[in-house]
Formats: sequence, C-alpha cells, structure tokens
Amino acid sequence: MPRVFITGLGFVTSIGNDTATVTRHLRELRHGFEVYPPFQKPDIPVKVIGTIKEFTTDSTDPEDWTFPAAYKIKRELLRTMAPNGLFAHCAMVQAIADAKLADADISQPETGLYAASAGSPYLLHHHHDRLTKVGVMRCSPLGIVASIAGTLNFNLIAAFKIQGSSCGFSSACASSAHALGYAYDDIMLGRQKRMFVVGAEDGNVDAILPFAGMRTLSLQTDPSLASRPFDAGRDGFVGTGGSVTLVLESEDEVARRGVRPYAEVLGWGQASDGWNVAISHPEGSGSAASMTNALRAAAVSPAQVDYVNAHATSTLIGDVSEARALRTVFKDHLPRVAVSSTKALTGHGLSLAGAMESAFCALALRDGFIPGCAHLTQVDPECADLNLPRATENRQPGIVVKNSSGFGGANVALVFKRVA
Amino acid sequence: MTPKPFAPEDEVALREALKRCSPSTFEAAVQFRKTANPEHVPAVVIGVIERFVEPDLRMKLKDADDDLRLIEDLGIDSLTMMEIVILVEDVLQMTINNDELRNLRTVGDVKTFIDCKIRGLPLPKPTKFIPIEHVAAVMPIQPPFLFLNEASVSSASANGKYKITGQEFFLQGHFKDNPVMPASIMLEALGQLAVLYLLEGAPTEPGKVISPQTIFFTGCEGVRAHRICKPGDILTLSIKPKRMKMPLATFEGSIRVGQEKAVIAEEITLTFGIVEAAEAPVPISAIGHAPGSTGTASAATTPPLRVAINA
Repeated sequence: MPRVFITGLGFVTSIGNDTATVTRHLRELRHGFEVYPPFQKPDIPVKVIGTIKEFTTDSTDPEDWTFPAAYKIKRELLRTMAPNGLFAHCAMVQAIADAKLADADISQPETGLYAASAGSPYLLHHHHDRLTKVGVMRCSPLGIVASIAGTLNFNLIAAFKIQGSSCGFSSACASSAHALGYAYDDIMLGRQKRMFVVGAEDGNVDAILPFAGMRTLSLQTDPSLASRPFDAGRDGFVGTGGSVTLVLESEDEVARRGVRPYAEVLGWGQASDGWNVAISHPEGSGSAASMTNALRAAAVSPAQVDYVNAHATSTLIGDVSEARALRTVFKDHLPRVAVSSTKALTGHGLSLAGAMESAFCALALRDGFIPGCAHLTQVDPECADLNLPRATENRQPGIVVKNSSGFGGANVALVFKRVA
Repeated sequence: MTPKPFAPEDEVALREALKRCSPSTFEAAVQFRKTANPEHVPAVVIGVIERFVEPDLRMKLKDADDDLRLIEDLGIDSLTMMEIVILVEDVLQMTINNDELRNLRTVGDVKTFIDCKIRGLPLPKPTKFIPIEHVAAVMPIQPPFLFLNEASVSSASANGKYKITGQEFFLQGHFKDNPVMPASIMLEALGQLAVLYLLEGAPTEPGKVISPQTIFFTGCEGVRAHRICKPGDILTLSIKPKRMKMPLATFEGSIRVGQEKAVIAEEITLTFGIVEAAEAPVPISAIGHAPGSTGTASAATTPPLRVAINA
C-alpha cells in the first residue's frame, strides 16, 4: 500500500502567520481575537472576530491592500485575487519553502491542488453593485474570477502553474477536510505524487455577518470569552478568515527528496446526517459514522487514538452533537482520548477550518503536544464525560483524529499518525 | 465636437479613476474633458496603458514608437486590454465594442483607433504583421537583395526591421576590412518597404490590386545619412505615404538604429500599375496553407488580442 505524508505547512491565521508563531500560540493557548472595528455599530450585536494581522484587505481594489514585504506579488496576479486568495498565496509560498520544493516539483503533471473557500461575498457584492450602477459593459473584466466560488483554485492554479489535478470543494465548513481527503485519495490511487491542500476565507464583514441571522455567532464583547467550545456559557462561534496550505506527498517522493514529514495521513472517512440543512443531527449520527469510517480505512481501533481535534465551534447544538458522536465511537475509551477544539483560539474558519486544524494536528504530532481547551471554565454537563484537558499537555500523541462538519450534515474525519 | 459640461464632481471622479496614472495623464484627461480637443487623447491613452504595464517594462513606453506591440513588447494580455479599455471609456466618456478591439495590436493602433472614434472618422484598416517568410512570398525582390526581416503595414504607414548580419555579399568590399552598410542599400531597403506598402496596405478600388510586376523606382529627394551602420545593428525602417496618384506614389521614409537617426529621405517615389484582382498573385492569407508549402503562416503571425476567456 502506498503511504501519504504531510511535508509542508503554511499559515496565515488569526493566531499567527508562520509555523513558529502558530505553534507557540497553540501551546500557550493564546487566542487571536480582537474587537473588530467594522462591527462596532449599534445595529451589529456581534463584536469580535479572529483577525488576520499584518494584512489589510479592506478595499475592493487589491492594489490598495498591504501585506508583509517578504511576499512579492505582481499586479497581474493580485488583480484577480479576493482577500482569501491573497492569504492563500502567502500560505502557499510558505508551504513550498517549508517542504523545500523546487519549481520542477510544483509545476508538473503529478502535482495537483485542491482548494476550498466560499468565494468572496465581499467582492461579489462590489462587482454586482458596479454592474447595476455603471453598466453591464463597464463592470470589471476580472470581477468573476476574483469573487465567485472557485476564485481560490483559479488563482492558485494559474499563479503556481499547477498542471496536475485541481478543483475546489464546497461542503461549507467541511470543505477543506474534504479537499484533504480527496487529495490523499489521489496520491493513494497513484494519480498524483504530490498535492497542495488549501483552505481560505476572507473573514470579513460579508463573510461572517450573514451567520448572525441564523443566531450562530457569539455576541460576547470580551475577546477572551467569545469562543468557548464545550463550555456551559458558550453562545455561538466567532468568525475568522486567513489561509492554511498543506503539502501532501507520496512515500516515494518523501524518500527521493529526503525530507522529514510532519505526520502521516493514515486515512479518512465521511458520512452525512441525512437530517437538516443547517442543524447538526442531535445524536451526531453522521459525525460518528464518519469517524468510524475513517478509523476503519486507517486500520486503527478507537483504543489507539490519543487525541481528537474536534469540529466544535462553540455553538449550543453542534458541540453537544459532536460530544454524543465521540461517545458513540470511543465508548469505554472516551475518558482516555483527549479532546479539544482549537477554534477556542482561532475562531471558526468555515471552509478553512478542516485544513487549518489538520495542520495544527500535524504540528502537535511533530512537536509532541496536545493543545488544551482554551477558555473552558464550566463544562457543559452534556459534555462532562469527555476528556477535555484545560491546559496544553506536553506529551507525544501517536494517532490523532480531526473532525469537520458542514451544512447539510456533511461530516469528515481524518486520521493522522506520528512519524517516528 | 462640443464638450459636455465638466463639473467639479466630474473632476473628483476623474482623479479617482486615474489615481494610479501619472499627473500628466490626469491633466491631459481634464483638458480633453473641458475642451474635447483630440490633441490630448494620445497622452491619456499612453498614460492609461503605462499604468497597466509592469513597472520594469514601462521604460519601453517612454520613447515608444507606434510600432510597439501590446502583447509581445508590453506583456499586455487580453484581460489587461479590457482593463485599459474600460478605464479609457470611463475617462474619455466613450464606448468601445468588442469587435473593434480585436485588431488593436500596437500602441499606434490604439492611439489611431481612439483618435478616429473621438473625431467620428471611419476606423482605419488594422495593422497587418508580415513575418519574414511572407515578406519574401509577396515581394518581387528576393534574397540576397531583400532587406526586410519583418514588417507591419497599415493604411497609414509601414514599418519594418532589418538586422545587418555581416554576411551580406557587398560588405566584403564595402569597405576593405571595414564592413559598413552602404547608404544606397539603406535607401533601397526603404524603397522595398514602400513596395510592401503598395502590395499590402495601399487602398485600392474593389476588385483591383497593385501588381508586383509593375512597381519600379523613379526618384528620391532630400536624402541624408546621419549614422554609420555596421553588422549587428538592427535597422528600424518606416515609411509614410505622402501622395498617391496613378501611376506615382510618393513616400517619406526614415531609418533608426535604436533611438538614433540613421537615414532620412524626404521623398521616395515609385511607379505602379493596377490590375484586376483575379490576375493577382496568391493572397497572403492563403500562403502556408497551399499543398507542399513550407511556410509557417499561422505560427509566425502575431495573434490579435481576443476577448475570449476560458470560462
């Protein structure tokens, strides 16, 4: 059987824009939330998001944006980017350097790219507005590729001259977990020897506020209380954007290039709730089935799992549903399996979440730690039997499970293993 | 043409639209909007093109001749061309159709096009690029006495290039141990470009064409050589028709090497004859498609900008 490894990571997240900073913030449980100026209006009850530092993308004109000087991006590329495209471009550059990939490794028929973002509601709105205001023939010729769902993959494929498999995934908050799962499959099937997996979101007003109508956003004004997965006081999720890129490679490529992987991808599974368009199944049936499928595919028993990076977004229904799914899968082993949701630190990255948190799992496996449950003071009685470490544990996990769930009741579980 | 009123809020919008262009571009646009004087249009168009060209290529525009190509020389793709058009439309308050864009290949094409639109004149025939194989195919003059490597021809002018290789047979004797391109040959090269213009660019009545067998040199006036040209130099030739009345066509011509003036001819006059189109040689578009032909027509021609998006 072929094997698949994670060999490179890149981060533009609310808790850091490089591997070292992200790792430190995960270990020290330091969140990336701030009171977000565009939300400070009387008619907006939501106040906090996970902010992206060192970048400004609050103009509809990409040439107004600012980003760290280390990234050199030509206007020709910038002009078709949404904010999430800029974040992803920078995360790609980091991941390529981290994996020590040469140009010939990137642009060739056996290297592909799977991506996930919700597009850019912000730019879509802007370009549509121009269409109606200045006329059909005067709207930007690049408005579509900069804003529709798929903008992320269009831009990255062109900018990095990707020649292998490519497409975008759209299963809401499970999107980039699906992207990672199918990227793994492409390598396992021998179709590709290397895949970039990219999740990204704008994380701005237009990306986050539409969730307010659903009453799923936290209304907390204190950044350190806003995101509290599994806590009795939780009141919704905190939105965030940014981008994370993972490089997946076949065992042969790892050997040929002589690189040290972060972790091995052992397998994955998915299952759907068949229940409701937006509400999790009350017993977490789809989530449980996805974990069971993933463990079977990875040939791992529940007894071997050391840590679950939960999907838990800090919503009332979702966290309890996932707790029940964990109970169904782990049964007697539940007290031993550490569970935490790093969304307590980053906020919920929507399409980005699966890739971002898989990358966190890769860091935990390489560096030997289990991130604790930040901001958890009073555990929801419904989740009381979970093993929820309050502080980061400095011990080496062997096998880690990453859960992701999205609208429609789509559930994905990924299984990662330490590389000895 | 009377200008529409130019209100202060129009100036604010114009400044915003041209915020990444040079101050002189903005000034020219203001003057055009206030006076409707087409003299200001080239500065606006060049200023807008400059803003969309990558910084390291902008120097080319500084002393651009009208022959500078949008795709090959300036790296402008069809999407960037749309950005340019939309900004020009916005700033000059005009509308440009997709069809009209397809033939714009050079800076000169764009300037002429916008100028014609503003003045309400009919649009000129698009510039035609003629690569080396085609030059030889249509010309009555053949190697080793053909001094055009490539050329572009429109109804208003013709431009060409010739690289002095050092292998030209006459350089062995001109001069002893010191190869210098003879001024008479440079004048010949300009004459050859004028011949190409007559065959490919000169307007003729429908059904009639100028026959290559009828074209001969008759005279020239005001010829001055300014620069010694030697092997390795690339001659940039250009001619413009001054008068055309059967059977005489008079041109002005010049040759540059880079930005340096090499030869000026105030007048070069050729004689020519008209024949029915049916008697004419194979049209240029058919060359390379003929059985047994070794031409590389489709690969060598410059692609026009197309507004075709892979969507």
